[in-house]
Amino acid sequence: MSRLDSLVRKTAIACAIALIGLATACSKSTDAPPATSSSQVGASQSSVSKLGDLSEFQVIAQDVAGLVNQGDLALAKLRIKDLELAWDSAEAGLKPRAAADWHVLDDAIDQSLSALRAGSPQPANCKAAMDALLKTFNRLQGKA
Amino acid sequence: MNQPTTAAWLNKVPEVTLAFWVIKIMSTTVGETFADFLAVDAGLGQGATSIGMALLLAAALFGQLRTRAYTPWIYWLSVVLVSIVGTQITDLLTDVLGVSLYLSTTVFAVLLAINFAVWYAQERNLSIQQIVTPRRELFYWTTVLCTFALGTAAGDLATEALGLGFTLGVFVFAGLIAATAIAWKLGGNAVLCFWIVYILTRPFGASLGDLLTQAKTYGGLGMGATWTSTLFLSVILILVAAAQLSSNSQKSIAQ
Repeated sequence: MSRLDSLVRKTAIACAIALIGLATACSKSTDAPPATSSSQVGASQSSVSKLGDLSEFQVIAQDVAGLVNQGDLALAKLRIKDLELAWDSAEAGLKPRAAADWHVLDDAIDQSLSALRAGSPQPANCKAAMDALLKTFNRLQGKA
Repeated sequence: MNQPTTAAWLNKVPEVTLAFWVIKIMSTTVGETFADFLAVDAGLGQGATSIGMALLLAAALFGQLRTRAYTPWIYWLSVVLVSIVGTQITDLLTDVLGVSLYLSTTVFAVLLAINFAVWYAQERNLSIQQIVTPRRELFYWTTVLCTFALGTAAGDLATEALGLGFTLGVFVFAGLIAATAIAWKLGGNAVLCFWIVYILTRPFGASLGDLLTQAKTYGGLGMGATWTSTLFLSVILILVAAAQLSSNSQKSIAQ
């Protein structure tokens, strides 16, 4: 019993170490350029908020707003999913930089999501929500 | 083997070894990523995901409470699901009901203290090794749920109030865990140290997961949620399978 036990245990630990080693090696090879000062680099630009570079999210929001203005709410609803996914996956990176600002933008995004995902979305509501969201982006970037 | 334990109700929890902590930490990350995936990527929404997870947890705990002895896969499945549901309770309080994190952290800490007090009053101990009666097992799992909710709230509070990001978070929580381990080595109360580490591994696991998943722009390693979860899940499956195999072999010898 004990021999089988220790064999199983040793194999398991060896596999676990191999996996972790593999992951570390993979991440090191791509981690070469240290990205620690990225927020400082952007700070000189006028369009950078306390949360750092938000252009990735702003671009999608502008897309969605454009579609809403054209009256294509179905396509807008599809496109805003990209914003939801990108915003959600960046939460751990962005929130610690300025939690209060993060919540302001998060609420604005939530409003837009629920306007576009309403049972029968109202063009006026969607437009108002998207306008408010774009204004929030501008305000956080000190442009409005 | 020849200890006179009651045949009808054997010990229901694993030994606390290094593998125990590795699985515990990694299951936190996997649970959170999986719940996130269902809610956002798969588009089920927070409400449906929470209800689904709560039902799954009820089923897993039902299985766990019904088994006669420690069964690794049921035990760890329960831990993963408790981790998800504990996190969702905190998120629900914070995001939907607007409860402040200061309040929820305090409330969960008080609930945990009350649970310990009642557990001690009824059983005259807080043993984490001798979970040999149904009542003790209920105390055990209530405690686990409280520690996950408290760990989530306290970890979020550290992010919100102190601006503690995951890079620093990994070191801070690892340091606190190490300090607790040293306190235990120096003769600190084993049960108390166990539960403190149990709470701390929740934010530590979350920070570690974020460090691996977050993009390099945010100071992460940029492995992405999918790869990180696959890696962690593989390690968990290997360790749980090993535990399951050795527990099966012990059982067949014992019979």
